[in-house]
Amino acid sequence: MSLYRLENIVHFYGGRPVLSVDRWDIRQGAITGLYGPNGSGKSTLLKLLGFVDTPTLGAIHFQGRRAETYSRRIRDRVALMPQESHLLKRSVYKNIAYGLRIRKDKAKEAEKIRLAMSLVGLDADQFADRPWYALSGGEARRVSMAARLVLNPSVLLLDEPTTSVDAASAKMMKQAATEAHRKWGASLVISSHDLQWLQDICHDIVYMFNGMILGEGGKTFIFGPWEKTGTRRAARRLADGQVFKTENAPENPAGATAAIDPEDLSIHTSAEVVPPGKPPLKGLITRLVLEKHADRISVSVSVGDTEFILYLDPETISRHGYQPGMPVLIAYNPGNVEWYSASAY
Amino acid sequence: MDFIFHGLTEAFRLLVTGDAETFSAVAATLTVSSYSMAASLIIGIPLGFALGYLRFPGKHYMRLVVDTGLSLPTVFIGLLVYAFVSHRGPLGDMGLLFTLPGIAVGQTILALPIVIALSATAIESLESDLRTTLLSLGAGRYQLVLSTLWEARHAILAAALTAYGRVMTEVGISMMVGGNIKWDTRTITTAIALETNKGKFALGIALGLVLLMIAFAVNAGVSFLRRK
Repeated sequence: MSLYRLENIVHFYGGRPVLSVDRWDIRQGAITGLYGPNGSGKSTLLKLLGFVDTPTLGAIHFQGRRAETYSRRIRDRVALMPQESHLLKRSVYKNIAYGLRIRKDKAKEAEKIRLAMSLVGLDADQFADRPWYALSGGEARRVSMAARLVLNPSVLLLDEPTTSVDAASAKMMKQAATEAHRKWGASLVISSHDLQWLQDICHDIVYMFNGMILGEGGKTFIFGPWEKTGTRRAARRLADGQVFKTENAPENPAGATAAIDPEDLSIHTSAEVVPPGKPPLKGLITRLVLEKHADRISVSVSVGDTEFILYLDPETISRHGYQPGMPVLIAYNPGNVEWYSASAY
Repeated sequence: MDFIFHGLTEAFRLLVTGDAETFSAVAATLTVSSYSMAASLIIGIPLGFALGYLRFPGKHYMRLVVDTGLSLPTVFIGLLVYAFVSHRGPLGDMGLLFTLPGIAVGQTILALPIVIALSATAIESLESDLRTTLLSLGAGRYQLVLSTLWEARHAILAAALTAYGRVMTEVGISMMVGGNIKWDTRTITTAIALETNKGKFALGIALGLVLLMIAFAVNAGVSFLRRK
């Protein structure tokens, strides 16, 4: 049985459609990642999964039953940490205790709060009595996380948990999320711009763009702005200055998103062996991960801030001695790029 | 200048010796303002919450009406209440004319728009993320309302203080509906007006000082609560 099943979901904000999901299942006990650019609908989707908003159209089934927003059955199981760390105007202790108190869960409150604070690296003696306004952004985010962890939710939804926080806080948030899954088997849905982290911990990653789920799995997405360079041609300058060129661009590619299938990517150690017609980009191997259910290895190659993903068999990896940190060339097929329009609605 | 100085010293004497007439006016003021504040907060906070939180057709016009109520002159409220509770009026049988509850009705009408308008503003100015935060922590409908009000508590307290200040210092309603009856419906402000007319500054100044002390005590109490 799925944890969630979304059917024919359409959601509007101010009369404007912002999310459209025909059908999507989330597995019980899994860590699911949501990846996509700003405005792609990740936060909206998480609010619907957290039953904070009700979809304008369509149905959400939770553990096999159609879910109602204010149902107690759901509210006690699901905890959403929104993107903005809004703390209640009270002490850190009372902020974390809020969820327990509205559930009338009074047993061992102080002990539970101390444990939740330790999970996010906050010293209870130092922070418990602090008022909400005496915290840094990273500390406020960690308090917000502790307020969810203390509830031991069976579903934890995290919206950009590591955005706008210092490196130490981001590390604590990541560890805390993993702990929630490991310690009490929480199902996690995490939206993040940190694709590498998602790839490290998620069982499934879903790519979102313009309010739609583009698909699951290892496509490489290159988001705009694109520059039109000729008929059906467009180019995107990547963060390190290299240019990704395509030859099958739509009429107006500016805000569109390009998706590249792993099958259309190849990896090479020198320019001499790059097949003709496939332009190469210089990159760095960042990760090699053995796929859980397939006899293949997922190779991530970083070009600027874009992560290209392709799959190789273990024998090829070992023959070429590919390893993280190794500079390589990644070649692609410029005429076989899948496009997602900026104006899907 | 002498008569002002004499008034001040006489005022301290009245307060220290517990002058019965002075304290009768103080008691009337505290009684009537307690009634009217209790009524206006009980009615006004829920209405202010609804006006600030909910979206409904005509909300804008409703807000306009409430905001207009902020400028209601006390003598006009006094006139209206007088007309309703006088023997010829529709509520004449209730016997409210020239009584403290009668004044309280008028003062409630005075305070209500202040409590509603400022509570609504307090709720509106809460960050839009608050609802998401409360729901995401598991709040149900009832808890959502109570927690939202609690988050706005400082601003609602300020609304109550503003209304209290207006109620304590008004003269028109107390004079017209209460009739300024000595030992009965004479409040601090009506007594000051009367004594000043009679040229008796001492009692006026003494009552003025009491009014200031009450205001100070209320503000000190609120300031203490805010730090909680």
